[in-house]
Amino acid sequence: MSLESWLDFARGPLFRLCFSLMILGLLRILVLTILGMKEAWDRSADKIVPWRDLTVQTAKWLVPVSSLWRKRPIYSAVSVVFHAGLLLVPLFLPAHVLLWKRAVGFAWAELPQALADWLTLAAVAAGLGLFAGRVFHSAARALSRRQEYVWPLLLVVPFATGYLCSHAVLSPRAYQWLMLLHVFAGNLILLLIPFTKIAHCVLFPLSQYVSGLAWKFPPRAGQRVAETLGYADRPTWVERPRVATDRILTPTEEA
Amino acid sequence: MLLTQEELAKAYTIPKKPEVVRRQRLPVRYHVEDFDVAERPRRFLQTFAAILKHTNYRLALDHYVRVSAKCSRCTTHCQIYLATGNPKDVPCYRSELLLSVYRRHFTLSGILRGRILGDPGLTDEQIQEMADSFWNCTACRRCVRECPMGIDHGLVTHLGRYILSEIGIAPRALVVSTREQLIGKTQNTSAIPLPALIDSLEFLSEDMAEEKGIEIPFPIDQEGAEYLFLAPVSDYMMEADTLMGIAAVFRATGDSWTIGTKYYDAINYGLFYNDHVMEEVLGKIHAEAERLKVKKVLIGECGHASRTAKYFYPSFCGGRGAHPVINILEYTYQAWKRGKLKLRPGAITEPVTYHDPCNIARPGWIVEQPRELIRAFCSHYVEMTPNRRDNICCGGGGGTVSIDEIRPHRTTVGGKVKAEQIRATGAKYCIAPCANCKKQLRELMEDQGVDCEIVGLHDLLYKAIIFGESEGGAEPEAAGAASRDEKGD
Repeated sequence: MSLESWLDFARGPLFRLCFSLMILGLLRILVLTILGMKEAWDRSADKIVPWRDLTVQTAKWLVPVSSLWRKRPIYSAVSVVFHAGLLLVPLFLPAHVLLWKRAVGFAWAELPQALADWLTLAAVAAGLGLFAGRVFHSAARALSRRQEYVWPLLLVVPFATGYLCSHAVLSPRAYQWLMLLHVFAGNLILLLIPFTKIAHCVLFPLSQYVSGLAWKFPPRAGQRVAETLGYADRPTWVERPRVATDRILTPTEEA
Repeated sequence: MLLTQEELAKAYTIPKKPEVVRRQRLPVRYHVEDFDVAERPRRFLQTFAAILKHTNYRLALDHYVRVSAKCSRCTTHCQIYLATGNPKDVPCYRSELLLSVYRRHFTLSGILRGRILGDPGLTDEQIQEMADSFWNCTACRRCVRECPMGIDHGLVTHLGRYILSEIGIAPRALVVSTREQLIGKTQNTSAIPLPALIDSLEFLSEDMAEEKGIEIPFPIDQEGAEYLFLAPVSDYMMEADTLMGIAAVFRATGDSWTIGTKYYDAINYGLFYNDHVMEEVLGKIHAEAERLKVKKVLIGECGHASRTAKYFYPSFCGGRGAHPVINILEYTYQAWKRGKLKLRPGAITEPVTYHDPCNIARPGWIVEQPRELIRAFCSHYVEMTPNRRDNICCGGGGGTVSIDEIRPHRTTVGGKVKAEQIRATGAKYCIAPCANCKKQLRELMEDQGVDCEIVGLHDLLYKAIIFGESEGGAEPEAAGAASRDEKGD
């Protein structure tokens, strides 16, 4: 298969597949979360939820004007720039808007090219900056799983390649390779979104409400837990030692 | 890092006998009653599963494992981490201890991955780490306000402690007190017998009569009273001044209130380690409120007891139809606002500061009310920074203040940030309207050498109440009674 046909495949069927999977995946977790919230609401006898405060908290983080700057302002600024680039450039870059128009017959307003260029460069710098921050901050390192290191770098790839493709003077072959990388990285990102922490792109607005509802404890739950475990007559406040419910076993390993 | 190496070494010394640690396989600093250590991971997971089945925690855990971005913003807000600088004290790290167990054993992808990679799953070491970590946290929930993803680390700690307590791992101090409260003879956490309680109330009344020249009673078992009053029971031994202030406020307002003889303890350690305990304790309050046919439940100067009653009484005792729960600060504030209570401006001239107890201030429930009251009778009020909903925990939150053996940890790791915050105000009095905070802050002032007296709000208010004028009809011209727009509760 030639480079061109690979590119056509990646831009066509593969993109459509990844994009659909992303939409379906995000819909799935969104629906599951909402159903979970409904279940929690139904189970709880207490319907007094501080909706207003939860909404204020949500809005505070959705539009981070005040909350971000008190502590670690540089990190906050970089993070906001990164998010702005990630959201705006893929959706409103003139070239992308054109692609949508060709594919589905309609499209939306586009960013001025110059602004899109600046945002792209800023996103690349911010992504690398966040990666470096994670590597050099000991607390952040302790928290990080593999995906924490992969994501900023992976997200930078389509931005960097896209910028090079539209601005650098390249041989046609180099252009095609870069474009292939651009599209494959983009597709991979779309595919991974629902299965990784980037799921917060749709779950984020529900977070505060989820926590609010989780603090609603269903009546008699404690008793039912004890019953399920088979010691309804020996709750935790009864004198110990309580022994294993079904059979007593010797410790598997002794220090 | 705020602490010296010596302070850290002292804070983390395990005061238990090595053979106990070995027998229980639990290298933690708090004492635990003997329990069955066999097959701990299996029993942990069974308990976890049972809890997930019957409660709403699954909703939160599912959400948290999906959105947790490990952004490390909470590092700037956790006083424990700020004190130790140890990455294991970062709230998000602590939560991940439990979230990773959830991900591995209760999500499809985790189970599949475990099978494929041959990962045996939860180990005894992980349980030991959780048992240590979840009790290093003071459950103050300050980090919650700094988490962009809305992860409630306080909720995760709460759940972690709940699971651990069901397999036998919970601080002995709390378990023993709860046992006395639920199935003991005295039905309260401090084991105060009823005759002793009545004696001391009579004694306090006599004291006040002598001082103020009027009869200030503590009504007992008054059926049909407006308010059932429950103090954290330790107040009857340690905070006589607070109780006298409260009785004096009621004497001035003329509202009917009562202390029940069948049950008189507001303390609810269930909030700190076990939902089942929490429900049982609230059930006792409910039964007493029903017996005495009161209209409302009134909780004394106590953060966790107030939060438990306010936010969980409706859950367990009748939903919207449950008795309304209010805190004494709200009551006093409203009485003063309506002119039923008059305070002498400038009654206290020394510098006074106010400590926001996490459990009543963090949700934004009781923040401005006490400040307005204080300004009404103290001429020199100073704020500590940060304050209000962002205030720093006393360092003894989440039940840790009741665990005496961890005092070296509480007054260094837990409280050093707080001590410096209070020292910086230069105040003579620090008002802390919470039994937990008072005990912790007094120990903290002592251990950190800060010269500041810790008092309750009603301790000082007692000196400022003007009796007589407001009896038989409220006069609206009392200090600060300008706006009388509030009605009901």
